[in-house]
Amino acid sequence: MKSLAILMGCAVAAWAASNDTFVIRNADVYPVTGAEMKGVSVLVQDGKIADIGAKIVAPKGMRVVDAKGLRVYPGMIDSGTELGLEEITSVRESVDTGELGEFMPQLRALVAVNPGSEHFGVVRVNGITSVMTFPSTGGRGGGGRFGGGEQQLISGQAALIHTDGWTWEDMAVERTAAMHLLFPSIAGRGGRGGSPIPDSVLELISGTAGASYTQARRTYEQQIAKLNDFFDQAHQYQKERAAHAPGFKTDLKMEAMIPVLDGKVPMAVSAGRASAIHDAIAFADKQNIKIVLLQPRELGKAAAELKAKNIPVILGRVLALPETEDDAYDQAFTLPVEAYKAGVKFAFGTFDNEFVRNLPFEAATAVAFGLPYDEALKAVTINPAQIWGVGNELGSVEKGKWADLVIATGDLLEIQTGIKHLYIKGKEVELTNKQTRLYEKYMAR
Amino acid sequence: MKIPLTALLLLCACAAAQEPSAVAVRNARIVTVSGPVIDKGTVVLRRGLIEAVGANVAVPPDAMVVEGEGLIVYPGLIDGLSTWGMPGAAATTTAGRGGRGQTTPTPSAPAMPAATSTRARGPEDRPATTSWLKAADEISPTDRRIETARSAGFTTAVTFPTSGIFAGQGAVIDLLSGHKPGEMVVASPAGQYISLSRGGGFGGGMGGSFPGSVMGAIAYIRQIYLDAAHYQLVKEAYARDPRGMTRPEYDRALEGVLESKQILLPANRLVEIDRMLRFAAELKQRAILYGARESYRPEAADLLKKAAAPVLVSLHWPEAPRDANPEDVESLRTLETRDQAASAPALLKKAGVLFALYSDGLDQPHDLQRAVKKAIDAGLAREDALRALTLSPAEIYGVADRLGSIEKGKIANLVVTKGELFDDQTKVQFIFVDGRKYTPAAETPATGGRGPVTEGPGVNQ
Amino acid sequence: MTKLKICRRDRSLTVAARNRRQSRDPQGAVGALLLAASIAIAPLSAQTTVIRNATIMTVTKGTLKGSIVVKDGKIAEVGEKVMEPAGAKVIDAGGQYVIPGIIDCHSHIAVDGSVNEGSVSVSSMVDIKDVINPEDIAIFRALAGGVTTANILHGSANAIGGQTLVLKMRWGKDAQGLIFEGAMPGIKFALGENPKRAGNPQGGRGATVVAEARYPATRMGIEDTIRQAFNEAKAYKAEWDTYNAKVAGGEHLIPPRKDLKLEPLKEILEGKRYIHAHCYRADEILMLIRVADDYGFKIRTFQHVLEGYKVAKEIAAHGAGASTFSDWFNFKVEAIDAIPYNAAIMQKYGVVVSMNSDDAELMRHLNTEAGKAMRYGGVSETEALAMVTLNPAKQLGIDNRVGSIETGKDADLVIYDKYPLSDFAKVQKVLIDGNLYFDRDQDVTGRAARQAEKQKLLDKEKQNQQRQQPPRRPGA
Repeated sequence: MKSLAILMGCAVAAWAASNDTFVIRNADVYPVTGAEMKGVSVLVQDGKIADIGAKIVAPKGMRVVDAKGLRVYPGMIDSGTELGLEEITSVRESVDTGELGEFMPQLRALVAVNPGSEHFGVVRVNGITSVMTFPSTGGRGGGGRFGGGEQQLISGQAALIHTDGWTWEDMAVERTAAMHLLFPSIAGRGGRGGSPIPDSVLELISGTAGASYTQARRTYEQQIAKLNDFFDQAHQYQKERAAHAPGFKTDLKMEAMIPVLDGKVPMAVSAGRASAIHDAIAFADKQNIKIVLLQPRELGKAAAELKAKNIPVILGRVLALPETEDDAYDQAFTLPVEAYKAGVKFAFGTFDNEFVRNLPFEAATAVAFGLPYDEALKAVTINPAQIWGVGNELGSVEKGKWADLVIATGDLLEIQTGIKHLYIKGKEVELTNKQTRLYEKYMAR
Repeated sequence: MKIPLTALLLLCACAAAQEPSAVAVRNARIVTVSGPVIDKGTVVLRRGLIEAVGANVAVPPDAMVVEGEGLIVYPGLIDGLSTWGMPGAAATTTAGRGGRGQTTPTPSAPAMPAATSTRARGPEDRPATTSWLKAADEISPTDRRIETARSAGFTTAVTFPTSGIFAGQGAVIDLLSGHKPGEMVVASPAGQYISLSRGGGFGGGMGGSFPGSVMGAIAYIRQIYLDAAHYQLVKEAYARDPRGMTRPEYDRALEGVLESKQILLPANRLVEIDRMLRFAAELKQRAILYGARESYRPEAADLLKKAAAPVLVSLHWPEAPRDANPEDVESLRTLETRDQAASAPALLKKAGVLFALYSDGLDQPHDLQRAVKKAIDAGLAREDALRALTLSPAEIYGVADRLGSIEKGKIANLVVTKGELFDDQTKVQFIFVDGRKYTPAAETPATGGRGPVTEGPGVNQ
Repeated sequence: MTKLKICRRDRSLTVAARNRRQSRDPQGAVGALLLAASIAIAPLSAQTTVIRNATIMTVTKGTLKGSIVVKDGKIAEVGEKVMEPAGAKVIDAGGQYVIPGIIDCHSHIAVDGSVNEGSVSVSSMVDIKDVINPEDIAIFRALAGGVTTANILHGSANAIGGQTLVLKMRWGKDAQGLIFEGAMPGIKFALGENPKRAGNPQGGRGATVVAEARYPATRMGIEDTIRQAFNEAKAYKAEWDTYNAKVAGGEHLIPPRKDLKLEPLKEILEGKRYIHAHCYRADEILMLIRVADDYGFKIRTFQHVLEGYKVAKEIAAHGAGASTFSDWFNFKVEAIDAIPYNAAIMQKYGVVVSMNSDDAELMRHLNTEAGKAMRYGGVSETEALAMVTLNPAKQLGIDNRVGSIETGKDADLVIYDKYPLSDFAKVQKVLIDGNLYFDRDQDVTGRAARQAEKQKLLDKEKQNQQRQQPPRRPGA
């Protein structure tokens, strides 16, 4: 009995040890934060990168992954998704973004993440190991694109999650990576992503008696005022809380704001136009909070301000149409290089579940139109890691960091490259998903 | 329209005052349009017609004399495409802002029988079609705009029903007040008014009434003309020998279409001008294009010239939006159009294209004057501007033998001004319509150009 | 056909200048200069051109490093060494790549108004040709993405939709000038969720506000709608055939009424019109094949056909082509089984597969969509490139003219700065019929001038506004 127990114990120990402990041999490693290393080994121990180098001695019996002719990269990070929260776009029942309510900081995207979403398997195949998932990536609250509800301002807490895990707890990298603010905007023309409505029609509409600019401007300013009021309330709450004011009652909305006020959680601010960006920066200054800018339509004059205040930017889809008829055809393709030249730190976000797996291609397009390759790679690895506060744990192939790695057949950003292995915290995740299974099935028909 | 007899008599009493047997405007400068300017001359009107005009015309002893010293006499202006005199709310404009889309006026005209209250399921339901409707039958003599138009110097309007795809047939009417509608009609019918906008929203009329798109409207019109030709064949065959033949169903829509000797088609952008000219050729119909917002482009004038197609140019020049978001910069295309639109008449004239100007929703004298002035400032010679509002529309509608210039035998429609017509400070002194003398109404304060009331987003998308 | 003067000017001017809508300054010196320039330079027929020292991916005859001679709008010679005609314009493409012009088999650009006539379930009487807008900037942007030919389709609101046509992206020509001469006319069918949406006003995406539900509301009804239409079409055709026979026999008769809805369906029965059927689910794909079999016609292409891989066998047996895209899935219920390997699987079963865009943005990088076929399912490079060139050409019946770089074919060519099936590449130049329609360098350098021109107009307008509205005086 005892020997059996010991035997089993050893077997279990060995198995447990090999689960997130192994060594990769003969790989070309692209750390991102340093120069490439050709034909080296990577030692992963207990889910962390223990060592990288030409001569690594691994204990006998350790699992070896031969990566000859292959490359090791950090797993990619998409900084703008609704993964786990939206399954089928057209079916409201399957969509959990866009709650009702104007100020909803207490909502947590994390708890609504469905680990069983088909989307996770799909994005893993292309080498994405973490994503930011947002409680709303834009549009009105109370159904978002489904309409209804008032204009939502604070939609809740976005989470940084791994693209694999048994439960959302399992998947959580940073439970509250950011508080999402949809900065007020004055409805204008244009809009990325190929609006089906041609400019010629929009021009007709925008001129009608409907919403005048003066009116829209007034509404805009009212909303900013509301926002400031809300923050004042939060400050007041914080004061009363600290002072143990008599009759003090816990308010979950206010509680959620405290880390933002303390600068522990940045506000991820969706603001499109240069004027809105400027106002958002002014707001952040006034409230003394940290912000990250999401999906600017343009940078222009705002770029200098962003640089001066060290505000990082999450750029939206690179593969998008220009805003208006007269804009350069490559307007969206060149926004990243514009940010780079302005010295603004940025990362990429795809902001559409279907296209998360195209993250590397968005980055590559930016390279075609002027962005240095290394910057593009950083924008899907170390930059987002740092922006979302996990720069010490993720985003590069460095000793001490988690082993969120991919082994690829070539350039990570290139279309023809295949991902051979994917590891999240050192554990290999099978690169199969519903789509690969359907592929296998019907190839055999 | 039923008007109580007493009211009618009252109206007659106020408006036309006395009805002299003859009127002579003497010692005035006379711009005949058809000939050289007469620096000092006399026009004699009798029985609603011009009896004589010239430098040495004697004043008949029985004529009421109107002193024309220091005044200028012009032929009364003709609005080449109008809704003056038609029942229903004030018309919306055809041109739209910046000349976008195939916009057409669809005024809220409840008097017009709606084509179908239930959803049309296809061309066979004849959606938005009242082709048999004649403006001459629908005249509303109490339309206030008749008076304001006169005050702007207009004596005639070619007025149309404008609701629907086949809206109906227009009529050339003289802008009389206090007379029976029938007395106002100079010529009828004057052409079939066709528009392409049917609404239906962006969804292309998903589940709505046919047609829900521009291409749907075009297909419908095409089918109507095929049906009309077929209908004609069948009718003729039946007329020759009905025996043994199923009688053709009476189709008033087709009757209306067959009645129309010419059609009016909307075309603002160059693309639309090209499209509509080809369409008219396909339908084998004589067409007059209206709107013509981009006719300042040389290609447009070229196409019109080659097709020998007359065109009606909207006076409702595009304007910059008054309350726009400064961050929203409009397209170069829009800016160009706004900048160049008013030069269209001058360029059309140079290219030798027959064109007329029309009010397109502008009613106030001040607005009309400013609009014409803008074209003059952009290069249109004053006499060409005048012609575009007199003899040219008369020619387009085949009534140049009766209207459009000051010539013996023509209808006595004149406008007498102090100052050159279309200048800012000029005042209209008298207007003669069918020989009857009117004075301009008190001017309402200038609206500064009412913004065009475009159709909603459903324009034609 | 009237050619717009503008195209004459355009070729003489930098293509960049054409991109902006030229300012009509008839009185100005600029106008006179332009006019003079246009007369002086090349006539309308294409200039003899040599594209030199490129990596040429011919699609049908492999890849070679060499040059292409273009003469009279056609490819005159392709080879490692070519005979360069004297006086030919030389495009130095050293280090660059040339592929055949990309053909997008599913596009809705260049259309005025709605692409849908959604009021009725059978809208075959409408024709996209009637509303082509040659001034749609999307044409230029497609060009900048390497597209030279596009299949412009009616939308998917109807089981049987409107007539369609093929255009070349000849930016600057008028509507007639864009038409791909001689291409077989087409018609759009649509199956699945979209055409039944108006039948279900309460439920579904974008709950359309309709007064009355429009039949059909289910996929069963879609089959019925199509069968009913062809039933009618058969009777219509019989009527006309009888009439024609009698007239040929010398009789004088009144012809039957021409019905624009049934004419295109009659043409389908006579094999004179291609059907492009938008579809998603395997069951509806099979349904349409069986309907076609029953009525004796063929589906030319299945569009989107996201579950085509499940019935690839049947599609191949029918002889239909398939035009799909790799990325879109889960945006509606019928797309939940969409897989990026769709193209690869169908191809394996012998279906002629193309990649399309159905989107003005995606249209600009069909080269990379082709690349995705290599990633998802291991399609070879040549086969992948064919999916956006020769295969759509075959599907549209224009492969005698375009789709590969071979002598005698139209000189529709795209020059990329890098390997084309990659996101790192961008389009440098595009030729259609041997004419240069897009030149990136010229477009880029022309931007400042265009912006300045716009600014001039804006300033002018501002001045006018200030003049018209003098500052308010108190009491005024």
